[in-house]
Amino acid sequence: MARLLEHPAIWRGRSAARLPVIASGHAALDAQLPGGGWPRGALTEILIPRFGSGELTLLLPALAALSQAGAARWCVWVCPPYQPFAPALAAAGIDLERVAVVGGERPLWAFEQVLGSGACEAALGWARRVQPRDVRRLQLAAERGRTFGVLFRPQRAASESSAAALRVALEHAAGELRVHLLKGRGARGTVSLREPPA
Amino acid sequence: MSSPKPLQLDLPVPAAAPAQPRVPEPAAPRVARVLPAPPPAVDAQAQPARLWAGLSLPGIQGSGQLEKLAEFALRLSPQVSPEPPDGLLLEVGGSLRLFAGIAGLRAALLEACAARQVTVQLAFAPTPLAALVMARAGRSLAVTDRAQLGSVLGPLPLQTLRWPPEALGRLRRMGVRTVGAALRLPRAGFARRFGPGALAQLDELTGRAPALRHWHRARAHYRRRHELSCELTSHASLLAELGRMLEELERFLELRQAGLMQLQCRLLHRKSPASGCVLHLAAPAAAAAHLERLFAEQFARLMLPEPVRALELEAGPLLPRDAQAQALWQPGEHGGRVSGEAHRLIERLRARLGEESIQGLKLLDDHRPESTWIGAEPPALPARAASPAPPPVPGAPRRPLWLLDPPQPLAIRAGLPQHHGRLELLGEPERIETGWWDGEVVRDYYAARDPRGVRLWVFRERLPPHGWFLHGIFG
Repeated sequence: MARLLEHPAIWRGRSAARLPVIASGHAALDAQLPGGGWPRGALTEILIPRFGSGELTLLLPALAALSQAGAARWCVWVCPPYQPFAPALAAAGIDLERVAVVGGERPLWAFEQVLGSGACEAALGWARRVQPRDVRRLQLAAERGRTFGVLFRPQRAASESSAAALRVALEHAAGELRVHLLKGRGARGTVSLREPPA
Repeated sequence: MSSPKPLQLDLPVPAAAPAQPRVPEPAAPRVARVLPAPPPAVDAQAQPARLWAGLSLPGIQGSGQLEKLAEFALRLSPQVSPEPPDGLLLEVGGSLRLFAGIAGLRAALLEACAARQVTVQLAFAPTPLAALVMARAGRSLAVTDRAQLGSVLGPLPLQTLRWPPEALGRLRRMGVRTVGAALRLPRAGFARRFGPGALAQLDELTGRAPALRHWHRARAHYRRRHELSCELTSHASLLAELGRMLEELERFLELRQAGLMQLQCRLLHRKSPASGCVLHLAAPAAAAAHLERLFAEQFARLMLPEPVRALELEAGPLLPRDAQAQALWQPGEHGGRVSGEAHRLIERLRARLGEESIQGLKLLDDHRPESTWIGAEPPALPARAASPAPPPVPGAPRRPLWLLDPPQPLAIRAGLPQHHGRLELLGEPERIETGWWDGEVVRDYYAARDPRGVRLWVFRERLPPHGWFLHGIFG
């Protein structure tokens, strides 16, 4: 029974949700996120106005913590729009021994394989056109592989329904990063994070 | 010529054979160490007496069929010795318990021969030559006691020893027609007349002298060609044919406790050059189902110019395979280790997307931003990080998370770079100047913000024509 209640697919209200999470590294955001962090073993959708809106900076502390974790699993970047810059990742505390970059023609297929393989602690995916049923498949794969999956999508996808466990939208405004929590077990509201100085 | 005296001297030979010191068995002392102070009954079981299965295969064609049968026999015993042209020997003393005794072994061997449509005579004896001779004579007996060997071998015709016809003729003229009669001849005189080789064979027959055999070694190279019964174009039916070949390959690998990391499949056409694909595996593998799934991914990308007439499968070098144990914990659960999953993921991605589709990152020592990293083989996932990442150096210049490779030239208006509008330069420039030996870099880097709020990493070349370039995005 206890195991059944812990299943990510069962929603029991905010108080009862005991999902395994990874702290985002931003105290203000952790306070708002369900369970106190990014959900592990589920898909998180991040809607961005354009590449470079601070989405990686937002994730870096969590990725660094995961890459230093005990279980030796990868952090995989699937079809990133540009080349991830290794020195910056290393400077942020990410263990490059556990980073792999996947390229190729079929981002959604590759992302699903990566999420469901069980070999990855975290997986970041970029895909241009994503249908709601694709998101559902990705969410199931992330549950199967117990992977912290992040799918980056353009802002206009906010109107579509999505099966992702958590959905946030990012917005830039006057030197700060606004994180709007769109969906996720009782999560509502907006968090403003200060941008680190250049 | 032959006086009665040596005849009498030699009479007790068959009877004395059991009293001879037994041929030392190499496996015996090791087994005794495994079982310290065993009771006598267990000891007798732990040191199995040597027992040989001899197969006489009168209708066998060519050495190929004999070799295939020897391959099969390797499943029953590690010591298999083909006796060309039509014999096969197996040492089965150690396999009796595993294969339900002599009856079980006999059934397995007879079934294998029946499946290959080979007529067979099968006998069991404590010495290899005796087993072979009994099989050749059609005496399908199982003799386990060396004391009884003399009485069984005695009446067998001498032709079963396959000596030269001239020697057999001379023996016949001497009135020696059976093995027993030959054994009773004086040893010294026999050796003088028929050569020491013939005497050595008689000794081998009774177990008086140890038998030397060439063990059959399984071939370490796999290459098979399969002619299709009709020309095929559909990927699904080709894959079904290939699946059967892969199952054979799996049996081949299982026999050798081996796996392979490279496998080539060639599809042969009538006129066009053969098309094909090569699998590169991340870890030694043998499972047919796994290989078939990878080939399915490869076939999906394959364009066939013509129908396929034949399939060819060639394995790369065989590698020892680790037996896979099922872990109690799933990976990621309570510190469960990742073992096969990472390899399977690499193989699946590479099969569908190509060799370059998955890469790791490696840092290099260089000041030029585009030379500070290199794509590498995906990391092998050490159980623990070798060393914790070094803490960020305070005051170290911030680097962007995205790199544009190659740098993207920026338009210039009124002396300032443009990217979706005028760029606002933030802070002091950072000068990077190095690499005069291969592609010189002399640049001033700035952090900049474009009108939409995206922070960029741009540089201005210090050499004419002083162009501005976008090199990174802070992300």
